[in-house]
Amino acid sequence: MKTLILAAALAAAPALAQAQELVTRNRVGLPDAPNTLTFRLTAYDLYSSDPATKATFEDLFTDFIRARPDWKIETQLQTGNIGQEQARLLQQTQAGRGPDCAMIDSSQLALFKQTGTLQPMNMVFSDDEIADLFPYVREAVTNEAGEVLAWWWFTDLRVLYRDTSIVPDAPQTWEALREAGLAAVDAGREGVLFNGGRWEGTAFDWLAHFWAQGGRLVDDDGAPVFAEGENREKMLRAVAFYRDLVESGAAPARVTAITDYDAFNAAAAAGTAAMFVGGNWQYGQLRATLPAEQFADWAVSELPGPTEDERATGTGGWTIAALSPDEAKRRLCGEIAKEIYAGPGNAAQGLLPTSAAIYDRYDAYDGPEFDLFAEALQNGVARPGAAIYPEISNQIQIMLGDVLSGTAEPEAALDAAADAVQAAYDRQ
Amino acid sequence: MTARPDRGPGAGFAQPVPWLAPAVLVLAAFYAVPVLDVARLALSDATMVRPASGFSTEALRGVLSDPALPEVLGTTLIFVGVNVVALQVVGLVIALTIVRGEGRELPGMAAFRTLVLAAWVVPGIANGLIWRMLFDEAPYGTLNSLLGYAGLGPVAWLSDPQMALVSAVIANVWQGTAFSMIVFYAARRGIDPVLYEVAALDAAGPWRVFRSITLPLLRRAIAVNTVLVSVQTLNTFDSILALTGGGPGRATEVLSLFTFNTVFYNLDLAGGSVLAVLLFVLGLGMTLAVLAAGGRNPS
Repeated sequence: MKTLILAAALAAAPALAQAQELVTRNRVGLPDAPNTLTFRLTAYDLYSSDPATKATFEDLFTDFIRARPDWKIETQLQTGNIGQEQARLLQQTQAGRGPDCAMIDSSQLALFKQTGTLQPMNMVFSDDEIADLFPYVREAVTNEAGEVLAWWWFTDLRVLYRDTSIVPDAPQTWEALREAGLAAVDAGREGVLFNGGRWEGTAFDWLAHFWAQGGRLVDDDGAPVFAEGENREKMLRAVAFYRDLVESGAAPARVTAITDYDAFNAAAAAGTAAMFVGGNWQYGQLRATLPAEQFADWAVSELPGPTEDERATGTGGWTIAALSPDEAKRRLCGEIAKEIYAGPGNAAQGLLPTSAAIYDRYDAYDGPEFDLFAEALQNGVARPGAAIYPEISNQIQIMLGDVLSGTAEPEAALDAAADAVQAAYDRQ
Repeated sequence: MTARPDRGPGAGFAQPVPWLAPAVLVLAAFYAVPVLDVARLALSDATMVRPASGFSTEALRGVLSDPALPEVLGTTLIFVGVNVVALQVVGLVIALTIVRGEGRELPGMAAFRTLVLAAWVVPGIANGLIWRMLFDEAPYGTLNSLLGYAGLGPVAWLSDPQMALVSAVIANVWQGTAFSMIVFYAARRGIDPVLYEVAALDAAGPWRVFRSITLPLLRRAIAVNTVLVSVQTLNTFDSILALTGGGPGRATEVLSLFTFNTVFYNLDLAGGSVLAVLLFVLGLGMTLAVLAAGGRNPS
């Protein structure tokens, strides 16, 4: 009876909107709904600062909760400080104070899996839907028993952006990138920009050049091996490639101070950069920011490799996972991931889905850039599923900063990074 | 005229414990317990994903033998040392300027004081972001563009390791000066004006007045301010995190940021606790040293 009353109240919600909003700053649904799911999410969708995105997700959440009148979702926002937020989420969950459902960054997923805090959501996802996930995604979100422990609802990748009025042909190799950068400098532009400062983006973008050679950061047991044997040579080659870009002038020395992707958008808008290594999401940002005739000059291509046949790109993105063992809550969490985010939420934001079927389902993915992104994803490499990865990333950032600023030689910097990572690994 | 009754020590002086107990309990609950808990974690094997399983000195040995620690301590020493001196000097100059301006009834002194204070209320993260924009080395970067108009630069504000530390100091001084200014302003206003009137009658010059009256009578304020500013600067990490993240390499990674990275990158709670204890000891040591050197009441 109570459910019927709530359903009637929700059906009449538009008329009652003034009295009781279905989507507030910390709640979705009616405040007196008998069941509650706590959901920790990022600030990029339902609470986005972009009015259009916010409105789209408010509609999606409203439709979702109207179909489930006896539920309300209490929302908790996480800040953009991913490392700190995810560490806190893990601590709270282990202490039994975490939310029922949460967004987990794909880079942290392995850590959560390792600690056994994720609860299966198989009742929501069919075998076909699981099989349709990209292989690296499927491997990351399932365990050996085939349980779906999270749903990776969008992925991303790194590509090379270039101003075709300066660099008409996409550089396919490291050497071609260097030559194109130097030619751009001769034309009065900064050659190629990339993240080189102290943050995760620096390590992750650069790792594509290590992975392109087949390098491995950790072994099957999660132990660091990046500075051993062939991996060491591959790492030194990739470091030398970046150093050569800076020393030759193909990349400006200021890259060691770049710690966000927005700097590339700004350089593109100012017309000062010829190329940059950015994320796929920046394509839409450039289209929205630049005048149409200026945007028409910009094109994307796969990241260059040591040879044309050796390519890789780092893939990231966000997952949604159930942290409560309660079956009804696990189901609802999975349904949020499936019905709101993976699909309509992706299409609304132009984010890259993690399964092929969704690309065919929405017109938003008809642009030629998505063909390139889909092609590049074939060479996608996710962060290793090892708890030591954040420290490996930290040490790579230090290594690159020291080498690119001329403070250390590559061999010495790599040795220091390897020692620090090993010491951290021994204490984990 | 009746003599005022001698109040003398009240009954509370004979029984101080009940009066002190609430303050002691509050201090213990909010300060001593967390400090002791950090010390406990420092002597454990706790990580962010695994609770402590027992007593261990492994984290202590690991942190103290970390090859990065000397570099981080060196950076911290430079950062704190330069900041403390700069904050004192700039804060004192501004405070004396305002007092002098008020003495001459110059207009705009209140606005000037408010302007300086405005920087103080800016959160550390915002301070870092503001200066990161100003120091932007792109061809259209603010400061380099201004320098370019004057035919100077460009300066590698954040990409050069040495210059990045200078930039971090500039950002911290900009924000922290207001605190020193307030301390010195209050202390300077507390000096008996008769002393300055006598100095004027004796035709003492400004430097002599500063050296013989202002500076000696500000000695206590300088000592207190040195302690407060040193501890504040030692704990500063948010503005550096936003400005450089500690880079390039480790060029601007101070001890507090190193602690943050140890906990949130390494997930090493025990190691981070060791570093937190080290920060505590350094802060305490600096406080005792400053108070021993200059904190006594001037005779």
